[in-house]
Order: sequence, then structure tokens, then C-alpha cells
Amino acid sequence: MVYNSYFDIIGPIMVGPSSSHTAGVVTIGKFVHDFLGGGIESAEIVFYDSFSETHKGHGTDKAIVGGLLGLDTDDSRIRVALELAAKRDVRLAFECRGECPYYDHPNTLLVRAKTARDTAVIGGVSLGGGISKIFYVNEFAVDIPLNAPYDLNELRNKFWQKTRCEAVAGGA
Amino acid sequence: MDFASMEELLALCEATNKSIAEVMVARESSKSGRPEQEIVEGMKQRLVRMKEAIDQGVADRTLAPSGISGGDAYKLERYLEKGEQLTGQIVGDAMKFAFATSEMNARMGIIVATPTAGSAGILPGCLFSLHENQKYTFEHLVMALFTASAIGYVIANRAFISGAAGGCQAEVGSATAMAAAAIVETKQGTPRQAVHAAAIALKSMLGLVCDPVAGLVEVPCIKRNVLGSSLAFSAADIALAGIESQIPCDEVIGAMYEIGKKMPRAYRETALGGLAVTPTGSAVKERIMK
Repeated sequence: MVYNSYFDIIGPIMVGPSSSHTAGVVTIGKFVHDFLGGGIESAEIVFYDSFSETHKGHGTDKAIVGGLLGLDTDDSRIRVALELAAKRDVRLAFECRGECPYYDHPNTLLVRAKTARDTAVIGGVSLGGGISKIFYVNEFAVDIPLNAPYDLNELRNKFWQKTRCEAVAGGA
Repeated sequence: MDFASMEELLALCEATNKSIAEVMVARESSKSGRPEQEIVEGMKQRLVRMKEAIDQGVADRTLAPSGISGGDAYKLERYLEKGEQLTGQIVGDAMKFAFATSEMNARMGIIVATPTAGSAGILPGCLFSLHENQKYTFEHLVMALFTASAIGYVIANRAFISGAAGGCQAEVGSATAMAAAAIVETKQGTPRQAVHAAAIALKSMLGLVCDPVAGLVEVPCIKRNVLGSSLAFSAADIALAGIESQIPCDEVIGAMYEIGKKMPRAYRETALGGLAVTPTGSAVKERIMK
């Protein structure tokens, strides 16, 4: 069961226009932000499939960047996330590809984000209705639903410390 | 206390002599370990945000950044003021509020996904029309949201609720089914009638493709929300009359899943088929992406 509660059905409270292409993506970006402990200086983002076809119209680019900057789904600054990133000197690169080879779903993306000292490669899928899941962290296939509680420290210990030095290549 | 199908949900309602909404509140409370009052309060916050989106949307005559939507809630309100609409006051207002919410969504305003942002107009549209025209209070509306969430919870876990996964039938279809059931329980219909209303609503949406012009959640999404709110009232009336869906709701959801799984990628929110690739749809895309 992916959807756990009424919050998953009546919600999230969010900036439009798409729960899967906007809100769910903010949540993935926010996970990357939290995982790295903030301070992201650059990010390369790969949109797959449905995301690569329609990301512009849905503000998916603003959504992922908003999340990477630490914004929540109902933060109206998501509308100006790209300007906000420019102001903070965050370097961004976007790429569009076809079907995602790592996860069978049309709404998938991969982010390679760097802070001053760390790099993380994280794959996320937006399942619909604002519900997202992380399926890839630093060369590990994972399954982390973002609508349920998770322990960031535990995740870091598991998927980060080990690969901390060599996590530069990624799977993209 | 949990359920994975409409049959299990109805069995729970019958065993506990509760409405669908009450079963959902009890389920949330037992699952989270939080008191029922807190659960209800959380839902009320969402209802308040829905109302804010409606109030802003009805007053806002501006276009979305794309220029292809906006101002229709206002236009419909002017028309409804004459009192000559064919669909009556309740459906008229539901359509107006659905327009208002979906137009705010297109403007990147703040809305509540029900179950998605692309289908966010239908449920608030229906419920606030009942509030305006039949004096149902916010407390009634909060319980109606629990009815809707129970229906959506089953559909989401048995099939899908996003256009990218299963086409518009999964998105506007689910929302319409949720709203139909919510209307029935608000009108004191039985849980069984509510589930039949959901089945009847969803059946009429089967096969609907997701083909947004330029990939935007505007054309045809906004008007499909508006029509969905109208259809939810029709389905509710049919069920309240005691008419049942010949195909059980769980099987309708199964059919929706089967259709969605077989739906070509072009019709699942990629903007590569249907209305998105009509001459006008293509021209709009070219203009916007320039």
C-alpha cells in the first residue's frame, strides 16, 4: 500500500499546477536537500519520460529546484525558485531523456547534487497525488517512501559514508 | 481496522454501524495513535485552504501565465446571477467553484490536491455548493472529505490516481467518484449507496485519456473538473434513488486499472496524443514553448 492515510488523498496543500509534476517533485528535491544537510551549490537534473515531455508547463524545474533549496510543497516561493537559485549562485543543469532505465514509472528523475564537501546521486519517482519515493541513493537501489517517517541519519550511514569519497560517477 | 477494498470498507461500516466517514476517522486515529479530534482538525485545515482557493479563484479574472485559461469562474458567476442556468443552482455553483479552484491551480496558486492537483476542483466544488445551497456546515463538509478520502484511498491503492500512470480516468475519474460518494453521505445516504455512486461515476469516466495541451494542467483539465462536479451530482442522485451499479465498485476499479495499464504512453500525460496534438493544441504548444 503506497497511500497510507487521508493526508495522501486529501492533500498535499500545495502550489499548483500538478501534484505529480510539481508537489511530488518538490518533495524529492527536499529529500536531496535534507540528505545533504542543505547548502547545495550545484545540481544536475535528469528528467525522464513524462517529466521530460511536460516539465516546462508543470513547473517541474521550479519544483525540483525549490525542493533542493529546502522549500516545502505549499511555499509560494516555488514559483520563483529558479530566480532564487540564481540569487544564491546555485549552478543548475537540466537534461531530458526517454524512459527511465532504473525505475519503471513515467514520472522519474535523477539528481546529482553537490555541496562544498559532498556529492549525492539520488533518484526519485513521483507516484501521483503528491506521493513520492526515492529509488536510488549513491549507487544503491533503495525504496524510501517519502509519505512515511524515515531516519535521515540511518540513511546517511547506510548509503553515504561508504560511498562518500567515490560517489562522483553516479548511475546517470 | 483497515480496508483494502470497497467490500471490506462496507463490511466495516456494517459491523460497526458507522458511516464511511466515521470508519475513516477511526482508521486514521488507530493507525496514527492520535485522538479522533486531532484527525478531524487536520482535515478541517485542508477544508479551509480549499475555501481560500475558491474565494480567490472566483474573484480573479486574470489569465494563467500560459494565456490559455483563467477568468471563466468569473464569467460563469455573471451568468449564474441571471438565474437562468439549465442545470440548477446546486450544479451551477459546483461548476463555478470547480472553475475557481482549477483556475487557481493553473496560476500556481495554493490548492489542496483531491486526490491530485489536476483534479483539485471537483470535490471542493461539490462540497461548497452543498454548503452554499443546502446549509451544510463546515463540520458536515469535513466529514464528507473523510468519505471522499476513504474512496480515494481504496482506488489509489488498487489502481492509480494520476494521469501519467493511468490516464484522466484515473485522475478526474477518481475525483468524481470520491465526490459522488461524499455527496451521498452528506445527504444521509447509506455507505452502500455511496459506494454505488462512486462506481456509477467512475464507470462513466472509463477510458478517458490524459492529453493536456502543451502539457499544461489547463486544457482540457479545467473544464473536465467542472464537468466532473456536475457528473458527481448526477451519480449521487442515481445512487440516492436506490439504483445500483451492476458492476461492483471494486470491479469497476479493476477495469479502470486494466484500461490504464494498456493505455498507450501518448495518452498518459505526455502531451503526445489526443487534444494535445490537434492543430490548435499543437499551435498553442508552439506559441508557449517559444
